[in-house]
This record gives sequence, C-alpha cells and structure tokens, in this order.
Amino acid sequence: MLQKLKTLGLAVTVAACLGGQAMAGPYDEFAGTTLVVNFPAHPHYNAVMKILPEFTKETGIEVEVDQLPYLKMRERQTLELGQDEGDYDLIAYVVFSKADYVYADQLENLARYYMNPKLADPSYDADDLIDGYVYNIGFAGGNKGYLQGKTGSLFGIPYGSETSVLGYRKDIFEKHGLTVPETYEEMLDIACKIPELEPGMGGLSSRAASGHHASHAFLLHLAPLGGRVFDDAWNPIVNNEAGVQAANALKTIVECGPKGASSFGFGEALGSFLNGDTAMFLDTTVVAGQIDDPSKSKVVGKVGWAMHPMGTRRGSQTGGFGIGIPKNAEHKDAAFLLMQWLTSKKGDKLVALAGGNPSRFSTHEDAEVNAKFPHMKTFGEALQHADPDWRPIIPVWGKINADLGTTLSKVLTEDLDIQEALDGVAERTKAVMEDAGYYTWK
Amino acid sequence: MSYSTLNRLTPYIFLVPALVIMAIALIYPLGYMVYGSFRSWDPSQALPDTDFVGLANYISLWNDPNFHESLMVTLKFAFSVVSIEMVIGVGLALLLDRNLRGMSLLRTLFILPMMIAPVVVGLMWRYMYHPSVGIFNRSLEGMGLGSVDWLGQHALLSVVIADIWQWTPFIFILSLAALQSLPRSALEAARIDGATGWQQIIHIKLPLMMPVLIVTCLLRLIDAFKVLEVILVMTEGGPGLSTEILALRISRTATEFRELGVAAAMSNYLLMLLLLLTIMMLAYNKVLEVRAARARRIAEEGL
Repeated sequence: MLQKLKTLGLAVTVAACLGGQAMAGPYDEFAGTTLVVNFPAHPHYNAVMKILPEFTKETGIEVEVDQLPYLKMRERQTLELGQDEGDYDLIAYVVFSKADYVYADQLENLARYYMNPKLADPSYDADDLIDGYVYNIGFAGGNKGYLQGKTGSLFGIPYGSETSVLGYRKDIFEKHGLTVPETYEEMLDIACKIPELEPGMGGLSSRAASGHHASHAFLLHLAPLGGRVFDDAWNPIVNNEAGVQAANALKTIVECGPKGASSFGFGEALGSFLNGDTAMFLDTTVVAGQIDDPSKSKVVGKVGWAMHPMGTRRGSQTGGFGIGIPKNAEHKDAAFLLMQWLTSKKGDKLVALAGGNPSRFSTHEDAEVNAKFPHMKTFGEALQHADPDWRPIIPVWGKINADLGTTLSKVLTEDLDIQEALDGVAERTKAVMEDAGYYTWK
Repeated sequence: MSYSTLNRLTPYIFLVPALVIMAIALIYPLGYMVYGSFRSWDPSQALPDTDFVGLANYISLWNDPNFHESLMVTLKFAFSVVSIEMVIGVGLALLLDRNLRGMSLLRTLFILPMMIAPVVVGLMWRYMYHPSVGIFNRSLEGMGLGSVDWLGQHALLSVVIADIWQWTPFIFILSLAALQSLPRSALEAARIDGATGWQQIIHIKLPLMMPVLIVTCLLRLIDAFKVLEVILVMTEGGPGLSTEILALRISRTATEFRELGVAAAMSNYLLMLLLLLTIMMLAYNKVLEVRAARARRIAEEGL
C-alpha cells in the first residue's frame, strides 16, 4: 500500500512538473525585465499610459516611459538610434520618420518576431489591423519604396494612427435645413453659405498657416480630388488640374472660414471649432475626445461626424504614429511582446476605452466601445477609405513639404496665382528629386 | 629649464586651464560646425561617415531664393527692432533718471518682460493677436473699429512689436546704469554755463554714454539676429516666408529638411555676418575714442 502511495505521489509530482512546464506562459521568461519606451505627448499615448499597468500586471514586464513632445521625440530618436547601444526598447515614431529610420537601417524587420512561435500570439489576427494604416505606417520597401507590395516588409505597427473625418454642427445644420455634405462641391457650397446664414460664424476651420499646416490642408483635398504629388515615374504632378482644384478648395475654405483663418495652425483651427466659431471641421479623428470634453469644448453633444467628402474618389488621410523596435534596443523580444500586447484585440479595445485611437476594424465595431464613443462606427467606415499614399513618405519630403506649405501660404495671404505657385513648386520639387537621385534610371 | 625661462613662461602656464576650457567649449564645437558645413550630412549619419562636398552647401545657399528671403527678413527685423528699442530704451532711461518716489518699483516693473521665457512671450502675444478672442481685436471691435488680421497680413510688424515689448527693458536698464555713472561735474558745469536740458542730452549725456550704448546695441543686434522661440511660436515663419528669420530657417533645415551640412553652412554665414557687424561697431567705437582723445589733447594744449 505504502509502495503504491509512493508511486502515486511520484507520478503526481512528475505530472505537476511536466504540466507546469507545459503551462509556462509566454511572458514568464521576461518577467522582471524593465523596458524603456519612447512615446509622444499625444492624446492616444496619454490613454496608453493608463493601460500600461495592466500589461505589467499580466506579464511581469515593467515599462518605463519617456514621453516627449513629438518634434522633440523625433530629435531625441535621431540621436538615440544612431548609437551602438540605444536607451529605447520600443519607440513610437511619427509616420514621416519611417522613411528615415528604415533607410538608415535603424528599425527591426518584424518578420523574425512574427515567425517565432514563442513570441507570436496565434490569436493576434493581423488581418484585423486597418489596412491603410499598416501600409502607410508599418510597411516599407514595397511599391514606390515606402508602401506595401511584393518587395515590402513590416517595420512597425500602427498605434495612435488617425484618418480624416468631417465634423459638423448638428444644431446649425438642423436650424438651416442643411444636409451633411457628401461631395466636395456640396461641402464648399455649405462652407460659404454658413457665414451668410450665421453671421460671425465661419464655414469650415482648416489649418492654413505657412509650412506644414498649409501643406497638410492642401494634401487633405488633393487625394479625394484625384490628385497626387508625383506620378509613377516620380515626376511632380502637383500642378495639374486636380492640384489647382485642391488649392482652390483650400482658398475657398479659408476665405469662407473664421476670422484670421489664413494664420491658423492645427491648434487654432480646432480651437475655433471647439469655441463654436465654425460650423465644420475637416481633419483628424484624434480630436473626437476633446470635442466631447466639457472642460475644453463649448460644442459638447452638438457635433455629428461624417465621412471625408469625396471628389472624384474617396481618400481620407492616414497619419499619426506607429510603434517599432530600434535595431540597437537591449530587450528586443520583450519589446515585441509589449508591441503585440498593445496592438492585440484586447489591448486595442482597452486603449480605445481609455480614449485612444484604435488600430483595428473590430475595435471600431465593438459594442462596448461604440456605447462609450458613438462616433467610432463612422470612423470605422471612414477607415475603409484611408489612403496610405495621400502624401509621399520619402526622405526628401520634409524639404518639398516646407516649400509647398510656404508657397500655398503665399497663395492664401498674398494672392499669388495658384497655377503659377504650383508650377513653381513642381519645378523646385523636380530639382530636389533630381539631386536625391530619383531620376537616375531615366 | 633655467629659472629665467620658467619665470618668462609662468603667465602662460596660468593661461593653460583657460585655454583648455576654451578649446573644449568653444573651438571644438565651432570646428565641428565648420567641418560639418563642408559635408553632405544627414542626422542619421555620424559625421565621419558623411561625404565631403567642398563648398557645395555654401554655393547652393548662395543661389537659394528662400535663403535670400530669410536673410532679408532677418536684416529687416534686426535693424528695425534694435533701432526702435534703442530710441525707446534710451529715451525712457533719460526720462526716469531722477529721484522720484516709487522709482525703484517702477524700474523693476519695467524690466519684467525680459525675465519671461521667450516661449511664454510668444504664446502670450500669439493669443493677444488672436483674430477673434485676442485682446487687440476685441478692443478694436469694442471701439467700433474693424478687426486686424495681425499674424496674417501684418506678421512681421506683429513680431517686431512683441520683440520691442520684450527687449526694450534691456536697453533701458543698461542706459540707466550708464547715465547714473556719468561724471556729475560735467553736467554741473554745463548747467552753470546755462545749457538747456536738450543741450545737456545731445552734447554731454549721449556722447558720454556712447561706448556703453554701442556695446548695448551690439549685444541686442547679435541677439536679434538669433531670435528663434518667439517667432517660432507666434508665426512659425509665415505667412509664406515673411517672418522666417535665419535662425528659424537653420532650425528647419536641420530638423525638417534633415540637411545638417546646409544648416551648418547657413550658421557660418550668420556667424560671418555677426562678426562683420561686431568688427564694424568696435571699429566705430575706436574711431570715436581716438577722436575724443585728440579733442582732449587739443583742449589741454589750448589751456
């Protein structure tokens, strides 16, 4: 009997040991690791800060966050990524940094992490991630060098990404029997009717200040109106008919906009809408939280959301941030686990409920998320048309973007002829592209 | 080493620590910038990995209309703010150089603007200039006058006003110090000889203050050429390039365009320009000193 009991005891012990081994969680190996991550000061990442304790509780991996204003963050990353051993295990990068970091071989190709069965979660469901965001923010080496395609690879996952939607004042539209615009023609028409119907109120508030503000606003209209900055052979075509139409749209919006609209940056444009000085706002989805926050907004409950109006096609912007693992990171595998957790269905829903921007289609359709943020469904529909190629993500874009933005600012404030202005931009862009070697194969 | 050689070398040995600190803190960064300006340098690269491009960065800037526009904006901005600040600052100092009750409090209040961080000054003025909620337009509208698109149509004027507000106190405080250290005997003699207030200012106070005023003007001019934060916050250089002064263009070239070599070349142009201005103003000061010494000598010989 005693012998039997001994055998049974041994069997239980062995089974427990083996079972324990089989049951070892994917995070056990990394418990106690401290990851240092670099995130921007941005509404989405403020929401991320709220959910990180949940990650640590679940995995035992500690996360130390270095949160910086996003331009400062980019400067810091430029210095950090150039070192042999970097301080950061995971970074959030703004979309136009993708070209610089990938080209300088400073970001990890994510293939080997998703191939590693010990790291990759089989229930991750990558197909649920929003296509436009992944192609715009995560991929490089495919079509045009900066998009998805047969030669492309994944270097980051969209996180804190955004697209454009039209916010409109439901009360003003109802009062004057206006219908929500679906096309550019309708939107511009309403934008210029509003100041007549509601004296003192602007039609649509838009960014327009010199530099990247004006350029962003122009590009926002260029894609839906059928335009592009370059053709397939990298020839600038910003000065074609669609380009002129987009610049005209911007000019009309500014002229029918609130007072001083030509010097508005993003903050002023949003502030004007939050203050009730304009009837429409066409920009990023990231503002939704602020519009419903009574401490910041005078228009709580008065704003409806609609898709970015279409011109010759649908094409809303794609932008914001992605997360990637630096080549010089110390804890790459643990960083991948954090990245995977944050962008998993569970993490995405948690961050959405905390006020962040979800990166998955399923989160936009989630009942709990929609109950808390009713606009999420419209945003999800808009995302079907998120255009990853609405602006080029090439290393020389900063210079072209600045030129485009300052020239458009002259159109808005100095009445420079639109065609002449865009011809000038195209000519100077051609010279920049020539210098950068884009015509080597001609 | 003989005792006399050591004796001769002693002062130089004492200079060594200062020279070492200067070499590390001044010469090395300057040399780094000059070296970088001859290279095609992306921020992702370490400087030794970059390609040597000779004078290409300098030549491309020379032919760049945006750089020319930036340079013109800088010259316009710097000369206008410094001239106006000098007039107001020296004027205020002449006005307040007297013993009135509460003067020390007034002086402290006057210098407050220059103690505020430039970013805050930029934000403050940006909101005061705001087209609908700004104090200026609200006041104008309250008085029945139309509103003004300050940062759109009058951007350069608006940043000039903000700079004058912030930096006139600097001129004021230095001018006041200069005024108070003037020899009382000369002023007394003038008064006894029946010189009017204006005559005292024109013929005695201003000439005697001149060396201090020249240095003050030079310091302000150097600072005005490099001002960045206030303009960055207020207009970001716009509309168009109408307020994009060189310091802002250098910053954008380095961070937005990611062309560190070109940014370094631009900094060198700015450095050369400031060096030239400094030499000119110091030379002018020297001429004045020589002329004054000659006048003194002639006067003494005449006695």
